[in-house]
Amino acid sequence: MIMPENLLCSKSHEYLSDNGDNTFTVGLTDYAIEQLGDIVFLELPEVGSEFNKGDTFATVESVKAASEIYMPISGKVIEFNEAATETPEILNEDSYEKGWLVKIEPTGDLETEQADLLEYEDYKEELE
Amino acid sequence: MTKETFLHDKHIALGAKMVDFAGWEMPVQYTSIIEEHKTVRENVGLFDVSHMGEVFVSGKDSVEFLNKIVPQDISKLNYEKAVYCQLTNKKGGLIDDLIIYKLGILEYLVICNASRIDEDLNWMVRNSKEFDVKIDNQSHNYSLLAVQGPKADELMRKLGLSTHQESFTIKPDKIANIKVLVSRTGYTGEDGYEILVENKNSEYLWDKILEEGKSFGIKPIGLGARDTLRLEAALHLYGNDLNEDTTPVEAGLSWSIPKDKTTDYNGKDIIMEQVKNGTTKKLVGLKMLDKSIARHEYEVYYKGEKIGLITSGAPSPILGANIALAYVNNNNEICTGTIVQVMIREKLHDAEIVKRPFIQKRNKVKI
Repeated sequence: MIMPENLLCSKSHEYLSDNGDNTFTVGLTDYAIEQLGDIVFLELPEVGSEFNKGDTFATVESVKAASEIYMPISGKVIEFNEAATETPEILNEDSYEKGWLVKIEPTGDLETEQADLLEYEDYKEELE
Repeated sequence: MTKETFLHDKHIALGAKMVDFAGWEMPVQYTSIIEEHKTVRENVGLFDVSHMGEVFVSGKDSVEFLNKIVPQDISKLNYEKAVYCQLTNKKGGLIDDLIIYKLGILEYLVICNASRIDEDLNWMVRNSKEFDVKIDNQSHNYSLLAVQGPKADELMRKLGLSTHQESFTIKPDKIANIKVLVSRTGYTGEDGYEILVENKNSEYLWDKILEEGKSFGIKPIGLGARDTLRLEAALHLYGNDLNEDTTPVEAGLSWSIPKDKTTDYNGKDIIMEQVKNGTTKKLVGLKMLDKSIARHEYEVYYKGEKIGLITSGAPSPILGANIALAYVNNNNEICTGTIVQVMIREKLHDAEIVKRPFIQKRNKVKI
């Protein structure tokens, strides 16, 4: 279960959820989805792709514009959410359980890479 | 400092997401662009387009003056009729696109784009020196509401519209007991009306239209859906699809230009030469053949060669496909049915050149 209170969030509105088995789920926060409006297109990377922290790994498009999505930590993609690429509107319903983006194995030093990520509560506060 | 329309508080109260558009803080959406888009296609929607400019032109030489600044023949415009026009520069390029209404003898109303009011006024004044004409910018005194959709006419009658109006006509009338100027025009491809109302009455009228429109399924519609609606109808957006380096002929607007106008106007020699001999670039409609979306300024390719640029692109909620407008090289090989490619994030995606408009327009109302 992805619970908002267990998430780490980036200032560019990606979340990172620790799955407890040395894998992490990456997605877009509910705030990001709210700002984007109707999601109509989603492009996700293939399994096996590797990214550094801060790299563009996916693209999401609302009716109005295309936006890049960045890796919150360095990692290798072990699974991507195929259903979300086929019906990207599920991100509007729920960007956590149904509308997650990729699962990754971290490839960098977790402690240093997570240092600039915010707990969900602090992230929310920062937005206000 | 961004400007606000007199309906700003209404938008906030309705929970609109506000964005900056041409220096105005405007609602981009209230709930969902796709939902709002469908509301206008299926029922009726209400838009605040008060950011648009209203310029009144009057005086002895009004006709001669207007005839100097647009390719259309204003001497042929009848009382209470409207005509789609372009404000051209000396090279035939587009300073703006406009609707001109004849309100009375030697009295005209020019509606221009919010982003172009200053340029338009400057150009109008510069061109008015030899004419006895009064150019009166009243943009700050009026609000403009658009009621658009297949149920717009029925709603307007319920609100008290007293006469039948053909498309592209304008009449003074009373809506909900408020004095207004009503024109049967719009920017959605649907039947509908635009209502010019004094600022002091705009909030009352806005509420009244939403209230009386409830039984028709009315919703307030933001600029997001306004953009997708106009794109499906292949109506140009100034700044995207039109600019000062593009002529009306290149923009596919030759249909609006009379070939027999005898008087001179800015850029006439170039425009008439292009009407006769063709242009090097042309505007085409594109339908993406996969799920990708072409956006403003993406490059268009044919047989590996760059042939043009996308000017507008978005999903079409009605077609369930992604559509775009593009300027491409004008040669016979590139025509309706041709498959071209659009460069999207460093990959080429197939698109088919299709006829414009992308949907059947329903705004040609004759009585």
